[in-house]
Amino acid sequence: METMSYRDALAESMHDALANHSNTVIFGQGVDDFKGTFGTTLGLAEKFGAHRVMDTPISEEGITGICVGAALNGLRPIHIHIRADFVFLALNQILNMAAKYKYMFGGHYNVPIFIRAVIGRSWGQGAQHSQSPQALFSHFPGLKVIMPSNAQSILESYRYLLSDYHGPVVSLEHRLMYDIQFDVDRANLRTGEQAIASYLAREGKDITIVATSIMVLEAVRVAKYLAEYGIDCEIIDVNSTTDIDQQLLLQSLEKTGRLLVADTSWVSYGVAAEINRLVLEHNPHLLKVPSKSLGMAPTPCPTAKVMEDMYYPNLAQFAQAIIAMVGASEGDIPLPNERSMSDVYKKFRGPF
Amino acid sequence: MNSRWNYRDLYYQALRIRMVEEEIIKIYSSDKVQSPVHLSIGQEAVAVGLCAVLTEQDMLFSTYRSHAFYLAKGGDLKQMMAELFGRLDGCCSGKGGSMHLSFPQVGFMGTSAVVASGIPNAVGAAFAEKMLGRGNLTLAVFGDGATEEGVYHESLNFASLHRLPIIFICENNQFAVHSRQHERQSYSLRKHVEAYAIETHHISQGFDFCEVASAFSDICNDFKESPRPIFIEVDTCRYMEHVGTGEDFYGGYRSAAEQAEWKRQDPLIKDEALKAELAPQIAIEINESIAFAEASPLPSYADVLKHVL
Repeated sequence: METMSYRDALAESMHDALANHSNTVIFGQGVDDFKGTFGTTLGLAEKFGAHRVMDTPISEEGITGICVGAALNGLRPIHIHIRADFVFLALNQILNMAAKYKYMFGGHYNVPIFIRAVIGRSWGQGAQHSQSPQALFSHFPGLKVIMPSNAQSILESYRYLLSDYHGPVVSLEHRLMYDIQFDVDRANLRTGEQAIASYLAREGKDITIVATSIMVLEAVRVAKYLAEYGIDCEIIDVNSTTDIDQQLLLQSLEKTGRLLVADTSWVSYGVAAEINRLVLEHNPHLLKVPSKSLGMAPTPCPTAKVMEDMYYPNLAQFAQAIIAMVGASEGDIPLPNERSMSDVYKKFRGPF
Repeated sequence: MNSRWNYRDLYYQALRIRMVEEEIIKIYSSDKVQSPVHLSIGQEAVAVGLCAVLTEQDMLFSTYRSHAFYLAKGGDLKQMMAELFGRLDGCCSGKGGSMHLSFPQVGFMGTSAVVASGIPNAVGAAFAEKMLGRGNLTLAVFGDGATEEGVYHESLNFASLHRLPIIFICENNQFAVHSRQHERQSYSLRKHVEAYAIETHHISQGFDFCEVASAFSDICNDFKESPRPIFIEVDTCRYMEHVGTGEDFYGGYRSAAEQAEWKRQDPLIKDEALKAELAPQIAIEINESIAFAEASPLPSYADVLKHVL
């Protein structure tokens, strides 16, 4: 099977969008420079022209509004933010305009804009370079929000959303995954709406872990670790936080009766709350034990490494939560000796 | 009077807009229109004069105060009335109301209730127009208050940087809700725009549709020779309160005397003879539009759920 990095899947998706659709344009700070948005837009301005791959002024709201207007008049703009935190400057255009343009004008318009925003984590990203705004964007009707957790998911979801979907999309990419290699099965890329559907990342019978983005990878690691001790975890990759597959979730819980949500953001008012709502409003009796949620500490992100390591959940905390839920006695299973998940994924020194 | 433009035709259009809004005032207390209205009365000549020069392919993005621009651009009156009445046959199926009118068939691209939000959308449409090699004009219409928003600066900068085919229209009625321009702005409107290397024009007789059309036509001819961002400030006067159907001199922030000079020059007030001649025909059309709106079905819950994605 082919392997491919998250970064290369993004680069291929950007290339193909420009190659396959003459009305696709890419906007973003530095999309045409020597770093090319962490390597995902390198060479594209040279190949497709500076008018289609455009560096922008530092004007997040303005450029988003320009993307909306361009989309109303026949283009399919992609707008890239190297940190999701900067998207907050564009919330008016995303939430008041892009998400509502079709609805408030009675279906006259489609607004096919695709916003890529990168979530930072680790290496001192601090309070304003590390946030995961999926709950915010998923709250507002009119948007699709995806959180691809691997290269295959990028190839599938980007191809669908950049070709056959015609509304506004926010894709939250995770910076820590850019250098990770993933298996890619090109013969079986999911198509249409299936491309963004939630799916089973691992089958198991003891507990259902519902995870987003890089927490899917963490869930796979913890499942592998606990399998050695006889705990069999099932993992659902949410994939799109606006299109959570409730049936898949309920079917899994019918089997396991245990729910643990692992998200890249804060727990309150977030994906964890929404997943629990979907279960409780359907059938609270599916849960044999109280559910748990794993997310960031309820504080802004601290910069110092020693605090950052406590702010994000690590593999030991992940394992501990599962062990407690399945009722194994803690002494029987040693916790993994790992202080920071970031150290596992970090393949660089210096800024990223 | 400017002979290049048919005074009678433009008068008819301006009067039609005013009479539509006067009818809205009349029926507003019946609660048939259950949404805020920001009336254009006093500002009709700006919309009529500008739109006289435009084609249906030219795109216009505007604001919550847009009854005048909607009608002047060619938006259907019956569908507008049905929209105000919250009916299915409204131009936006009842989803938009007075503040969110749109009629894409004639290039009336949408209106935002959040001040200045439509300006970058117009710039984006102009960007697409240029990139796709088409030659239609895009207009961003906004008030003097919108120039205080940050995104206005971002839009001017981008339009100038890429020399986009867009004309910015600032309808300057001097007031943002109840605050005067000098209480809000430390800058001079046109000097500020010129700092972006954007050419500016000033049309002071915003009450005179022929004068507006004539000045705008000259600018557009030049624009067609050399498409580029252009900024036009048009002086105008909002006769009614910011939102709602009354006058608001009781609020004390401005006086009737201030408006007297403007009203004295307003052809819709001044030219009583032509008004008397044209009004009956317009009244018939307005009555028909109200009958159309009242006969139109009310939306269902299924309609509420439509058009989200």
